[in-house]
Amino acid sequence: MFDLKNPSRRKFLTMAGTAAGASLLGNTGLVVPSAYGAGALGAVKEEDAVIAFGHVGPISDEGWTSTHHDGLVAVKAAFPKAKYLEIETIPYSADATRTFRQFVAENATLIFSSSEYGDLLAEVSNRAPKVAFMECNGHRVADNFSWYYVKHWMPTYVIGVAAGLMSKTGKLGYVASFPVPSVFTSVNAFQMGAKSVNPKATTQVISINSWFDPQGASQAGTALLDNGADFLFGIMDEAAYLQVAEKRGIPAAMWNTDVRRYGPKSYVTSCVVDWRKFYVEQTRKRLAGTWTGNEQILLPLGEGVDRDAWGESVPENVRQTADAVRTKMLKDGFNPFAGEIKDSAGKVKIAAGEKMDDMALYNWNWAVEGVTGLAT
Amino acid sequence: MSVALDRSLAHGVGHVADPDAAPVVSLRGITKIFPGLIANDAVDFDIRAGEIHALLGENGAGKSTLMNVLTGIYQPDAGQILLDGQPTRFVSPAQAIGAGIGMIHQHFKLIQAFTVAENIHLGWGETPVLISAKDIEDRTRILAEKFNLAVRPEARIDEISAGEQQRVEILKVLARGARILILDEPTAVLTPPEARELFKALRQFRAAGNSVVFISHKLDEVLAISDRITILRAGKKVALREAAGCTPSILANLMVGRDVVLHHARPASPHQANPGDPPPMVLQDVSALNDRGLPALTGIELELRAGEILGIAGVAGNGQRELSEVLTGVRPLQGGDIVIAGYRVPSSNPAMFRDAGIGHIPEDRLRSGLAPSLSIIDNAVLREYVIPPVARGHFIDHGSAAALAKRIAKDAEVGIPSFQMPVRNLSGGNQQRLVARREMRIAKSVLVAAYPTRGLDVGAINTMIDYLVALRDSGVAVVMFSEELEELLNLADRIAVLYEGRIMGIFNAKGADMEEIGLLMGGKTKHGERVA
Amino acid sequence: MAFRLQRLPSVRPEIAVAAHAVAIGLAFVVGGIAVTISGHNAFTLAAKVLTASFGSEFGLEDFGLLFGPLMLTGLAAAVTLRIGLWNIGAEGQFYIGAVFATGVGLFFSGPPWLMLTAMFLAGGIGGALWILVPTLARAYANVNEIITTLLLNFVAVLVVNYLSTGLWRDRKQSVLGATARIPYEVPNLSGSLHAGILVAVAAVVLMALLIRYTRWGYEVRISGANIFAAHYAGIPVRSRLISVMLISGAIAGIAGMLEVAGTVHRLQGGISNNFGYLGIIVAVLAGGSPIGVVFSGFVMAVILNAGIILQAQGILLNDVLAMTGLILFFTAIGEQVAHYRIVATHVVAQEA
Repeated sequence: MFDLKNPSRRKFLTMAGTAAGASLLGNTGLVVPSAYGAGALGAVKEEDAVIAFGHVGPISDEGWTSTHHDGLVAVKAAFPKAKYLEIETIPYSADATRTFRQFVAENATLIFSSSEYGDLLAEVSNRAPKVAFMECNGHRVADNFSWYYVKHWMPTYVIGVAAGLMSKTGKLGYVASFPVPSVFTSVNAFQMGAKSVNPKATTQVISINSWFDPQGASQAGTALLDNGADFLFGIMDEAAYLQVAEKRGIPAAMWNTDVRRYGPKSYVTSCVVDWRKFYVEQTRKRLAGTWTGNEQILLPLGEGVDRDAWGESVPENVRQTADAVRTKMLKDGFNPFAGEIKDSAGKVKIAAGEKMDDMALYNWNWAVEGVTGLAT
Repeated sequence: MSVALDRSLAHGVGHVADPDAAPVVSLRGITKIFPGLIANDAVDFDIRAGEIHALLGENGAGKSTLMNVLTGIYQPDAGQILLDGQPTRFVSPAQAIGAGIGMIHQHFKLIQAFTVAENIHLGWGETPVLISAKDIEDRTRILAEKFNLAVRPEARIDEISAGEQQRVEILKVLARGARILILDEPTAVLTPPEARELFKALRQFRAAGNSVVFISHKLDEVLAISDRITILRAGKKVALREAAGCTPSILANLMVGRDVVLHHARPASPHQANPGDPPPMVLQDVSALNDRGLPALTGIELELRAGEILGIAGVAGNGQRELSEVLTGVRPLQGGDIVIAGYRVPSSNPAMFRDAGIGHIPEDRLRSGLAPSLSIIDNAVLREYVIPPVARGHFIDHGSAAALAKRIAKDAEVGIPSFQMPVRNLSGGNQQRLVARREMRIAKSVLVAAYPTRGLDVGAINTMIDYLVALRDSGVAVVMFSEELEELLNLADRIAVLYEGRIMGIFNAKGADMEEIGLLMGGKTKHGERVA
Repeated sequence: MAFRLQRLPSVRPEIAVAAHAVAIGLAFVVGGIAVTISGHNAFTLAAKVLTASFGSEFGLEDFGLLFGPLMLTGLAAAVTLRIGLWNIGAEGQFYIGAVFATGVGLFFSGPPWLMLTAMFLAGGIGGALWILVPTLARAYANVNEIITTLLLNFVAVLVVNYLSTGLWRDRKQSVLGATARIPYEVPNLSGSLHAGILVAVAAVVLMALLIRYTRWGYEVRISGANIFAAHYAGIPVRSRLISVMLISGAIAGIAGMLEVAGTVHRLQGGISNNFGYLGIIVAVLAGGSPIGVVFSGFVMAVILNAGIILQAQGILLNDVLAMTGLILFFTAIGEQVAHYRIVATHVVAQEA
């Protein structure tokens, strides 16, 4: 919004700066002409392709980042002659810009950013028009830039149904990272699913300002349980709070992958994601020259995102009730995010009869009634 | 020049080691070069069994360096060390002590937070691996009795006096089987009674057939304790004399290399104060606290007079440091007033005192008078950096600063290879001269000189005293702190005695009763009663 | 013959430079062996690092974007070393400087030059305010500034998180809480390299001149070299200490302003990139000298930039961090070793 306030000035400064810089540095003879794009966005031979992956966390997290790394492994298997670059644990600082720029300098053909780096990534993509960028959970598009994500709210609603049925008190706990849309949507879907089967269900949220902080997640889980919650959910890149739940004998649902080995008794299910097919397909398109920018891709339930197989302690009636909702979504296109929906202050935000569409769900930035602890 | 030392102890001169015995240690042609300085130049030095051999020389003559070469702290650039006739070389002090040569340094190398017993057993091969505090204290007690050195094994080093610390150092060395004991300026930190005790112990040690090297620049004590005297000057050995038959003036001439005037009382000041002028400084009922917040000065009444030297006598630790700091504005007052030239000072501030023309040669120049790691120029302008031409508005004129430093060095007769080098690279005596000259430049009305001759050799002492006298004659009020009563009697016009933070009395130096002053320094009057 | 070490009281500059060079060289040798063992060609990698850092426009820009803030945070730590104090809190002052600048940039508007000036001042004031309490505690109650400045770093991180994910949050950005984009930007010199690096160089030169050529600087140097001598000379040590600490905080705060207004354009957690802590290392390697900060900041920027390049070559992050640590470790040792010289000695003859 603000960056549009003064576009001409900004553009002018950038252009003038680039021109001045280029002449300044060009005259020294030190500078090799920069490799802003190795070839046009047309077809690329497999052996000439360089596919780069930038991750927010460690690939060993057995969670978010490892699912993307699995995607890379699948792409590698499909196109073994291409060159691959992968950098993990990229901070949300100017280091991110440096890292993605390094990919460009290495003649990357297609760059996947497995988390949103926003301006820090745009800084690079704007100056590398011949390189294809794909930003997971992104919010902007360009001719060389598309974003992709999963409709995680669908399986999350199903998990919410299970939570509503399994909780005795109706007090649910949620370990959150930042008050950003993907978290709002996740919390809301969870709460709405629970409330659909348990009218007194409420969800308490604790944010730990990180996607990967096992210690912080454990502390938050403990605090939620101490506060009376008897079901835990969250959106962490790793599985720390499951271990807390297992110790306390409380059921918990997870994100990303099947991590039941960390808490076999507590494990209910997981909002699992699988990027392999998607990444292979995007890479194939890029090589064939059919990849396009300006795409907004949300993978639907069953094609990249789903609930995991139910945990051993989930009762049969819970499985059946929750799975019935899932089947309804898959078969009948059921959209549970329909009015009337009130926000956490009790104000009607979605009137009766209205439905939230995918983009509304993707950009959700307020908490529904029954959610506490998530700033609106 | 020291009355504190009992002349009667000079009987030791009568003791003679067997002159034909082969020396236990022999240094042959030792040369030690530091960057820009030849510290030792082909020096020969012998130590016989059963002798006390003094190593005499001015500060910077190379005495300590020579002994550091012998004990393995430095490696010689040329020359040979013969131990019992065999060529040898020590790589570390530990090897030297293993061969029976132990050195007691001027600055003790004890661990303050450890007890006496712990210090003695630290790093000693004979210390049992597992031992209780009581065991090492018992062992220490036995050692102390054996060598007749009174120490308290259980006391912590930071609780005991300098004299006792020195005994601990000596005991530490003797316990490790030393037969040659090297002492570097051992009496500098001792009171006269402690010095007497030390000399007694050294004679006992010699009587058992051992040897002592006694490093000093004090003529009286060298004559009192030693059998033979080697004199170094500017890194070279200039003479080896039997102590018997030497006189202080012979030694002084050898040491300094020119005729020096010793112990001359200066004529009285020609300066006549204008009777209408207010005194340059008056202290009225002044009290002050020491660094630990305890009362250090009480009810001080003192009037400084233009053109006279006021001596402050007293045993160290009776408020001298605090008084010198009060006089120069460094220490705030607890009560009372300071009146400078008729104006009451609202609060103490050294910069303001400096502006009022009050110079300050501090007690410990490296601690408070200089910034050791900074250049000679930076240190030279410490008092004048706010005054043109060094100051130009808020800026420093480096050209003028360098010129000022050169000027001070020239006045102080200190040769300086580079004014950019850190001031700590200068010898102690040269540092003292620079500080003195720097302070004299700003001392337009008062100069407070705390122990200005401490640590100086004969030549430097005379120069320093000449400085003070010249300043007095120009009408400056000089306050001189000293522990050496004789020095004060020679130099001062009046003498104030300080005891436990009080002025016990003020005397005209001419015709002063030395006995009375001595008693007051100990807190007693002539009639024997203790002063409250 | 045997050899022993002898410690020298001061080091000749050429020896110190040589020691640093040897240390860095050794670290590269050890690092090279490590990458060779892990199956890479050390020489190819080294060539890659050099060409990628200095042979391309991107590389030079990245290098400059690291060099600028490192000079400033290094300078912040170095000026306090001149008066014998440690500012461990440049990280926090950096953040708070960024917070103040962001606040001005988001909630006021005006012509860009005016707004950038206001943000610059606000950044400096923010940094100075963040060190104010440790400064006063040190000056009036002798409370150790190392601990107070360090602890405030953690508070600053929480303040930034609170503002960027709460009060000032931009509702559009996902994944990580951040404020809206600040509409005022430090002008760029070349590509994304902004003018902050010039500010950094100017700050270094200005501080070096202040310390060398002013009465204030002289008083600071004396106070740092011997506080007793400073008292003796009537130098207002407390006031100098306060001014040095506040200047240090302001420099770190300005570094934060330049990062947020020149590089990141939004206030969000993690933007400091550890520049505050790295600045301490830069200052120590520079021996507390402002001009030395230029050289040690340069070395540090090369190291950090090389880290990213090496990761793109498939060296794992942990290995890169280990190598970075190794270089600093060797340099620190080299610093000490420069104080010694080796002298040849004969072995002692052990006769009775």
